[in-house]
Amino acid sequence: MINRSLAERRSDKVIECDINGQPISLDVPPTRRLLTILRDDLQMTGTKVSCEIGRCGACMVLVDGQQVNSCLTMAYQCEGKKITTIEGLSQAEIDPIQQCFLEEGGYQCGYCTPGMIISVKALLSHNPEPSTEDIEEALSGNLCRCTGYGGIVRSVQKAVQLRRDSS
Amino acid sequence: MASGQEDKMMSPSVWHPRDATEAWTFKKLLDADAIYVAGGTLLRTQWEAGIATMPKHLIDLSSIPGLKGIVKEEHSITIGALTPLGDCRKDPHVIRHYPMLADAIRSIAASSVRNLATVGGNIASRVGDSLPVFIVSQAEFEWNTGLSPMTEDASQWAERLQEQLPKASHLLTRVHLPIIEETELVPKRFGAFHKVGRREAFTQSLVTVAISGGIKADGKLAEIRIAAGGGQTIPHRLPAAEKLLKGQIPNRELLGEVHQAVMNGYRPKSDPFATDEYRKKAAANLIVMELWKACGEPSGAGREQDGVK
Repeated sequence: MINRSLAERRSDKVIECDINGQPISLDVPPTRRLLTILRDDLQMTGTKVSCEIGRCGACMVLVDGQQVNSCLTMAYQCEGKKITTIEGLSQAEIDPIQQCFLEEGGYQCGYCTPGMIISVKALLSHNPEPSTEDIEEALSGNLCRCTGYGGIVRSVQKAVQLRRDSS
Repeated sequence: MASGQEDKMMSPSVWHPRDATEAWTFKKLLDADAIYVAGGTLLRTQWEAGIATMPKHLIDLSSIPGLKGIVKEEHSITIGALTPLGDCRKDPHVIRHYPMLADAIRSIAASSVRNLATVGGNIASRVGDSLPVFIVSQAEFEWNTGLSPMTEDASQWAERLQEQLPKASHLLTRVHLPIIEETELVPKRFGAFHKVGRREAFTQSLVTVAISGGIKADGKLAEIRIAAGGGQTIPHRLPAAEKLLKGQIPNRELLGEVHQAVMNGYRPKSDPFATDEYRKKAAANLIVMELWKACGEPSGAGREQDGVK
């Protein structure tokens, strides 16, 4: 039997977090997937759904600036966190990383692209001068079945060059 | 505000203990209806795949302060069990003193998963790819058993797992890694980890091997530890291969014997993707290669007589 003092540790409150700069209260089951919250509850469909087991990276979002698979993240793990989705990257204008993907042909069907962009955003935030090996490691959890990755790596390298030139 | 009261009623309860002993208390009270959850990445995939059922209660370990982070002391590195794999891989102390641990973690899933998944979760899974490194590194696992902390050698823990399941209520809190410096007696140290999968990145392992040891001033090997795992194989040491190498200067004949000892001693679980035979050969090749690299090209002569036991 769980006594009153331990019972207070149960997660039954509304989850408070920040999504794309907006504070939000989520009255959802604590184990609901962040992916489902974004797409089904909040109609933020820029985050894509595919493998649902953390393999493809289509559902990638930033949580406190780090890339994570939203299909593996549960609601209670978002308490107090800052979440950024692909919609959050281009609120005022298109993100320079997105522009580089457009210019270098970093996509074909485009389904993996939001996840790719999010992973690149995380990479360049932590490592502005990544080597090819760093780029490959950062994107190893993002699958693309169209491009063969050449255009994607080129897009990342262009984004790196762009940052270098503007700094 | 999103709403889902009905779903909420049917959802598992999530408990947020304030310390490890409180987590242990929840586990004892809720027993088989509850499971510890750290990053939850492996559990989530098991639930999605139908391999495991989501229990009625989740005990969220991330709410426990003090179990995350890496501290270097004079003779050891302590890794909190809730340290994300990604943090451990990038930690300067780990990279300096245990580069093979950084290599092993780099081979686990992808960076996005490693941002959620924890060192403790990888160990508690019993088949995590970091385990062979902990086994050969003389790591000690510190557990909360409810009454007092218990510390156990990683190698002995893994060996016990071959026979019996660990106590579900025991909670891994920290991993202690000794810092073994080069000395006058053993002036060279080496260690390596290898993972063989079905593709280069983000793949489940078929075979994992780790080896650590030292080379004395006279070229003889000392303190050799070898472990192998991979896939659903619980990693284990290879004592016969270690014994062959003890106090020896490797040569072609000895490396041939070690190769055979690994083939005989490694007990991999096969699956439709790779046979036992393939896994054994891969493990033996990798271990012999690392010995070759560490000791230099072996001579063709027989075993050193004074090293024979």
